[in-house]
Amino acid sequence: MSTPSTPTPAATANSILPPPQQPSAGAPFSQPPSTAGTVKTEGPLPTSTTASAATVAAAAAAASAVVAEELSCTITVPSYSAWFSYDAIHETERRLMPEFFEGEAAAASGSRGPDAYKYYRDNLVRSFRARPGRRLTLTEARRGLVGDVGSVRRVFDFLEEWGLINYGASPSGAKQGRDKREEAAASQSSLPVGATMPRKLCTGCRTVCGLAYFSCEKADISLCARCYVRANYRPGLTATDFKRIEITEDAKSGWTDKETLHLLEAVLHYGEDWKKVSEHVGSRSEKDCIARFTRLPFGEQFMGLKEDKMQFEIDDDFNDESGSQISKRLRLTPLADASNPIMAQIAFLSAIVGSDVAAAAGQAAISAQSQVDVNGVSINYSINNIKEEESCTNELSVNDLLKEASRNAKVQLENERKDIEQSLSDIVGVQVPTL
Amino acid sequence: MKTVSLGANRPSAVKFRMPTRDNLVPIRVDVEVDGQRYRDAFTWNPSDPDSEIISFAKRTAKDLKLPANFVPQMLHSIQGQLAEFRSYEGEEMQIREKIVPLKIDLRINNTVIRDQFLWDIGNLDSDPEEFARTLCDDLNITDPEVGPAIAVSIREQLYEIASQSVSAMREARVSKKGRRAPEFASNSKAMHNSLDLFKYFGSKGSVVRKRKEWYLYEPVVDVARKEEVGAIDATEELSSRNA
Repeated sequence: MSTPSTPTPAATANSILPPPQQPSAGAPFSQPPSTAGTVKTEGPLPTSTTASAATVAAAAAAASAVVAEELSCTITVPSYSAWFSYDAIHETERRLMPEFFEGEAAAASGSRGPDAYKYYRDNLVRSFRARPGRRLTLTEARRGLVGDVGSVRRVFDFLEEWGLINYGASPSGAKQGRDKREEAAASQSSLPVGATMPRKLCTGCRTVCGLAYFSCEKADISLCARCYVRANYRPGLTATDFKRIEITEDAKSGWTDKETLHLLEAVLHYGEDWKKVSEHVGSRSEKDCIARFTRLPFGEQFMGLKEDKMQFEIDDDFNDESGSQISKRLRLTPLADASNPIMAQIAFLSAIVGSDVAAAAGQAAISAQSQVDVNGVSINYSINNIKEEESCTNELSVNDLLKEASRNAKVQLENERKDIEQSLSDIVGVQVPTL
Repeated sequence: MKTVSLGANRPSAVKFRMPTRDNLVPIRVDVEVDGQRYRDAFTWNPSDPDSEIISFAKRTAKDLKLPANFVPQMLHSIQGQLAEFRSYEGEEMQIREKIVPLKIDLRINNTVIRDQFLWDIGNLDSDPEEFARTLCDDLNITDPEVGPAIAVSIREQLYEIASQSVSAMREARVSKKGRRAPEFASNSKAMHNSLDLFKYFGSKGSVVRKRKEWYLYEPVVDVARKEEVGAIDATEELSSRNA
């Protein structure tokens, strides 16, 4: 199943399915039952689509499986739209599309009014269900509908939002194609735009990047953390081509060369005493200086020193900090595989908050867990040794268990065989004398 | 059924609008960029906000997989036609019961449809969309794109008549003739193809059409074969390029 529709804690507003979030917001409309949905089937069900419907139910939080049937294949309709029926207009529709039902339109027939709404709705749903795997575009749909395109568009958007149209239908090829085209178009436009606009737009999902974004030098693409973790970029690029950039005042107030020069001098002289550094620079606060300094091309070498000043709880086990930064980026790649949702979430969170916070959090988690469970799973990957150790011990115990199990199985097999032989010989012994 | 009172055929001046129940504007777009051509016709509600136009243009270009440089031209075209419609809006036009013949002569994909019928442009409750839907249902036309094309064609003709009425009114005012003059002016000008109602609905006439005229008013629907369609397309392209 294609559309990655896992509702996320981050508020990226580029969701095709806002209704799954509606129930949590307490919408007055139809409350979808959370997990086990009612299944209405009419006729034979091909098993392949029920299996995929099951994965849809597992993946999407509020939507659950299967309903109506058209043309002997199964159409999936989310449970919050189970009220839909060709024969009637539901209260939800009346409430959400008042232009057709209120005021002078209520009594009208033809292009306004309930008849028109029903005509548009039935035709749109039928066209989609005729080819359920394919995404129905507005242009294609409105070309076959008699009426003004504004009204058709509104009904179309309403149906799409409620999953009665194009539910899970956008094939990944089309989506990637769209991403690529958007990237190509955006990379032409985002260069001049990025310089002037203070807010960064992600080229992948066209939402405003939050705290940090990843920029690629090769292709001049900027991605938000979510797109980066989900590997939402061209096949020619890898995760290592991207650099993480914090969005801070540096975009708003440009550092002049003079100021940067002062900054560097000051750091050389005063080392980590940011108070003096900011005095030397002049019009920049301590935080600004630190931020600017870390963002200089060679800033990473001094990352380890900088962390002492930031009030994180850092263990003394953190020796190889700068090395771990780079290797961490490399190791981020295997975790970007979204098929493991927990790992994808963790990768996303660590990308957002930065390597140091993630490392500190991981360390704290480990120390807490090690008190509870000796074989706890290691999340913090900047501690190489401990991770390898633990994985080794895990493997050993697993191997032992496997051996035990196989031995037991063998023994049982032997016993069975003996029993069978015994009973066979008994039977033969009984039968032979009767011959 | 509405009774025709022949005496009361006095024009009344009404604010300009489409003489149909829904005030919708027919829009025709024909944009060519880098050898790619986009032609489309649809109905637009002029009371929709203008921000809708740009999002509609972008969405259409995206759906049809057109390159992004189509969008400005599409936008320009749509906005121009809407602006023209709006320029008439403040004016007044003559509305009275007047029956005009409308013609349909369209080729949509494989279907060719030709028809002619009478339409009362004084009826502000008329509905081209409903007419188009009914026509397609009655003639069992399977291609869903035929309906909108018919509706747009009817609207275009009605729009033409309405805008002519407005310009006639303008001219009459400008030339400063007497009050009676507008009636004569509009009679003699573009409306000369309207029916003489006396002849048909007077005492000697009959509402029922003469049998020998039936063939003129019958709709003709042809489904062209693929090869024919290709040939027709090519000739149309050539003629429109040379024009």
